[in-house]
Amino acid sequence: MNFFENILNPVRKSIANFSDRNAFYIDGTFYSYKQFAERVSAIRGVIRAAEKNEQIWGLSLHDDLNTYASIFALWMEGKAYVPLHPSWPEERIASIKQQVGCSNVLDACDAPYTGDLLDDWAEASEDDLAYILFTSGSTGVPKGVQLTRRNIAAFMDSFWKTGIDITPEDRCMQVFDLTFDVSVQSYLVALTRGACVYTVPYGQVKYLYAASLIQEQGITFGAMAPSMLTYLRPYFEEFDASSMKACILTAEACPVDLMEAWYGCAKNTEIYDFYGPTEATIYCTYYKLKRGGENLSLNGIISIGKPLANVQAIIIREDGNLVEGQEKGELCVAGDQVTPGYWKNEEKNSSSFFVRDGVRYYHTGDLCYWHESGNIMYSGRIDQQAKIQGFRVELGEIEHHARTFYKNERRVIAIAFQNAQNLTEIALFVEAQAEDTKPLIEYLRTQMPAYMIPTRILFEPTFPLNKSEKVDRNALKQKLN
Amino acid sequence: MTREEILAKVEDIFHRVLENQSIVLSEETTAEDVPEWTSLTHAQLISVMESELNIKFSLREMMSWQNVGEIINSIEKKLG
Repeated sequence: MNFFENILNPVRKSIANFSDRNAFYIDGTFYSYKQFAERVSAIRGVIRAAEKNEQIWGLSLHDDLNTYASIFALWMEGKAYVPLHPSWPEERIASIKQQVGCSNVLDACDAPYTGDLLDDWAEASEDDLAYILFTSGSTGVPKGVQLTRRNIAAFMDSFWKTGIDITPEDRCMQVFDLTFDVSVQSYLVALTRGACVYTVPYGQVKYLYAASLIQEQGITFGAMAPSMLTYLRPYFEEFDASSMKACILTAEACPVDLMEAWYGCAKNTEIYDFYGPTEATIYCTYYKLKRGGENLSLNGIISIGKPLANVQAIIIREDGNLVEGQEKGELCVAGDQVTPGYWKNEEKNSSSFFVRDGVRYYHTGDLCYWHESGNIMYSGRIDQQAKIQGFRVELGEIEHHARTFYKNERRVIAIAFQNAQNLTEIALFVEAQAEDTKPLIEYLRTQMPAYMIPTRILFEPTFPLNKSEKVDRNALKQKLN
Repeated sequence: MTREEILAKVEDIFHRVLENQSIVLSEETTAEDVPEWTSLTHAQLISVMESELNIKFSLREMMSWQNVGEIINSIEKKLG
């Protein structure tokens, strides 16, 4: 298992064996593996000719063939990339480039093709970086998660061991922003198997474009965020997703009732819930749902399942000892998928990783417990646990009851905050226009003890999202000030 | 309603839902031209259009829209 065997060589074989078949469908245009290979070769020439021989390059992200080709050109040259999004503020881009110390940036590189450079491989170690993804840091300075060639190779090996199979006949959807790591899974599974990647162009209403790709292009495989399906749910009756043979739901907690409704239009589809922090390379656990069967869930949220093949998982108490039975604790993960650490951030590295019995683990910050079946049940973020009047309150439970009140048609977020008296209170945000809150509170009172009833209920027409397209809890929390 | 009146109504809905009074819509406007017009706000825009105009869009219709003009085509057809 290494980066060449698991990533680069399979892509080279796809190019050699399927040169006339489609590698990409981007904004209405098909591009063959031959065209893709020519762009990779042309961009390798640009990298080699750079005045400064830097190990990490900036990559300006566009929904175009050159951006995808740039990723492989850099990897074949033994280099790494750091994604830079054109829509980001200049200060953020400057801050990232300065932190990484890179001056070279590939930006829609359209250098002419002058010859094949596919059989020439740069020397690289498995510990060399493949990419660095910057996410918002609590201090306001973006923090970079480093992923090595070993991490990506281990991920790919784990992925195929889940039993999902992709063939050259498959049409695979890539709906994620390239700054978000599920995009890496989305293009790698297709390109390493000679299949075609169908992307969602920028500036499109994503869930509608994805729906039209599924229906009109006959997508057979794709990863999506549950929120995309939430928006499509009112139209499930007229939506035919029967072309899909497998579908991954990821990036946020996955409601069980949404999945069961999704089966109605994804008639031939195996559905999987994949979970994982960027720090453990895209995914680290998965759960395969049973159509028409009993699916494990907690507070209406599907189990995150069992660890992937190259991931070791433990659940620990606050004191660092392992939990017993079905006791809740923090999920920690180890193995070849776990990042070597945050870019030049010793403070964060010393608090986020620890060694136990000679194994290095990452603190996920997620509150979980072991189900007797060996599956992991997800109970929310640790920081979503609050103590109210001495009682331990799980915000996920409040959200579950509020969602049930709204018949799962609205998103809700519960947030614990300190009031002026420095006491902890709970606020509940509802994604809707403002309305009378009395019926909701009356319902919640029938479900939960008094101390769990939110003291503030706020309506937001649309929840703010972070770059990973998850609800931005911090932005909501700021509205409480 | 004339096409101009529908455009004005849709523009008014955009102002309210996206909380930005300075948005100017034309028949050629696309989601790329309006930064606040995202996947998420789209669902909200649709819901307000449907309730205020007393119409219902199909998924197939929405998937075919390339710009505001095509939204207006759908509304015009439904209002007869």
